[in-house]
Amino acid sequence: MRVRFWGVRGSLPVPGSKTERYGGNTSCVEVRAASGTRVVVDAGTGIRKLGKEIGGAADGAPTDVHLLISHTHWDHIQGLPYFSPLYGKGNKLSVYARKRDDLHLQAVFASQTHDPYFPVPFAEAQAEIAFRELSDSAKFDIADVKVACARLNHPYIATAYRLTCDGASVVYVSDTAPFSDILFEDEFVARPPTPGAALPQHDREKLQRMREGVVRLCEGADLVVYDTMFTADDYRRIPHYGHSRPSDAVDVCREAGARRLVLFHHAPERSDAEIDVILEQTRMLAGSGGPEVTAAFEGLEVELGRG
Amino acid sequence: MQLAFWGVRGSIPAPGPATVRYGGNTSCVSLRPSAGGLIVLDCGTGARNLGMALMEGPFGQGRGEASILLSHAHWDHIQGFPFFVPLYQPGNRFQIFGVAKSSAMLEGILEGQMAPQYFPVQTLKNMGASIEIAAIAEGEPFQVAGCTVRARTNPHGRAGALAFRIEEAGRAVAYASDAGYGAGGPPAASVELYRGADVLIHDSTYTPEDGRRYAHRGFSSVEDAVGAAVAGGVKRLVLFHYDQDYSDADVDALVARGRRLLDERGGAGIDLVAAVEGATLDL
Repeated sequence: MRVRFWGVRGSLPVPGSKTERYGGNTSCVEVRAASGTRVVVDAGTGIRKLGKEIGGAADGAPTDVHLLISHTHWDHIQGLPYFSPLYGKGNKLSVYARKRDDLHLQAVFASQTHDPYFPVPFAEAQAEIAFRELSDSAKFDIADVKVACARLNHPYIATAYRLTCDGASVVYVSDTAPFSDILFEDEFVARPPTPGAALPQHDREKLQRMREGVVRLCEGADLVVYDTMFTADDYRRIPHYGHSRPSDAVDVCREAGARRLVLFHHAPERSDAEIDVILEQTRMLAGSGGPEVTAAFEGLEVELGRG
Repeated sequence: MQLAFWGVRGSIPAPGPATVRYGGNTSCVSLRPSAGGLIVLDCGTGARNLGMALMEGPFGQGRGEASILLSHAHWDHIQGFPFFVPLYQPGNRFQIFGVAKSSAMLEGILEGQMAPQYFPVQTLKNMGASIEIAAIAEGEPFQVAGCTVRARTNPHGRAGALAFRIEEAGRAVAYASDAGYGAGGPPAASVELYRGADVLIHDSTYTPEDGRRYAHRGFSSVEDAVGAAVAGGVKRLVLFHYDQDYSDADVDALVARGRRLLDERGGAGIDLVAAVEGATLDL
């Protein structure tokens, strides 16, 4: 399989000379099986250029895209209205995301393209669009790609995905906080926890189980793409925004015996030069026993397994 | 008065090496009246950089005041709002003016963007600053930061977008982003809004050719912008809101085209510049 990075940034797109090398588009990763099966994880602004490559169905062959959504915060869905295959007759798009009790998945996407926010309502998209709502630990197949899920620790809750095909596995873990100081559910956490305050036992146990689930999902993976938006200092200041540090990702990968870690979901304020430094530091941290470390950049391609 | 450009792109932010010179952030312009205060025109992703710059001054201490004028609520004009840091500083005060049937509905539009499925902060009420929201009655002048502001609706695809005229002590700036006039050119009320302005910041999304191809999208080409500037007899035209696929070289060509068109169509005396992210313009 081939993994390609179309958007690697968190929060919002950040154009400009300081982000030229790693890229300023928000989260979007494509996984292509040797058979041609196309699975895309998240639809940040990076998906626009993937759509241009696929090229719609107007004169070419219709296309079939499976879109896994980690969660529906803007930086993970805001590119979808600009994904051109949506407007080609004969194309198929299947959208997968975590099932919620309070809101239908379809409604989340329909509101994004409704008046007054966007000129073309979702209902006018020519592609055949299907929505699949998933349980926290769902396992299913997309043609020859096996998909497994785990719950993450992020405001309003996010899902991690493991994709297996061609004898290789890639895991996408974004967005998530570490599983230690705050348990995120649906509600806004207004301020950081009091330093040193112990968590209620229930929360602690729930976080421990959640972490075990993520480690299991990453077990023996060839590639783990991990939300490492925060520096240690960011985490001290604003842990209640729900992102991890590179050290959290290294720990999970080491425990899971994952071969390679890709630092992902870079903070909007992070310059290319700063990401270079974070990458070097994380490589030192991972050392010889840990995963090989790469920082995701727009255009990065990784071949895994056969074909 | 001083204008500053924080986002000059249309539709969706366009990061990458091809847009570094003109900039890839979506629409946001700030205006500092000579008498002080601050007016912000639209809140595309450019608003993030504006917000960070403002935090160096009184906004960083919770002593800032600004008015935000929203032309309409398409994403590229509001998506920077949740990332405008001064809104999170208690003590800062904001007035937001925009188009809706009522002020409550305008508030609902902004709340819709903050909803928990889309953004972790969940509601404007978690932001900290004082935020007053008012729907604008078209045509009626109102006072903001010592300036007189008037608004008119331009046609924009299936929707409309407000154009603004802001006047202070005999100086006038007109802002007309997202205008799809059609074959007849700008409506009389819009021409009257632009009349004699020192600066007209005008939607110039497309080349004339792309403008005809994508007419249904409701944007102006550089030719439409030139037409509006000549009809209004403005002193200076600022091209704005470039298509997300236009490279810096494409925008260079758009400027050259605009200059030629102005010279051919009775606008030889009109100064022409392209909006550049990070640039300022003094009146």
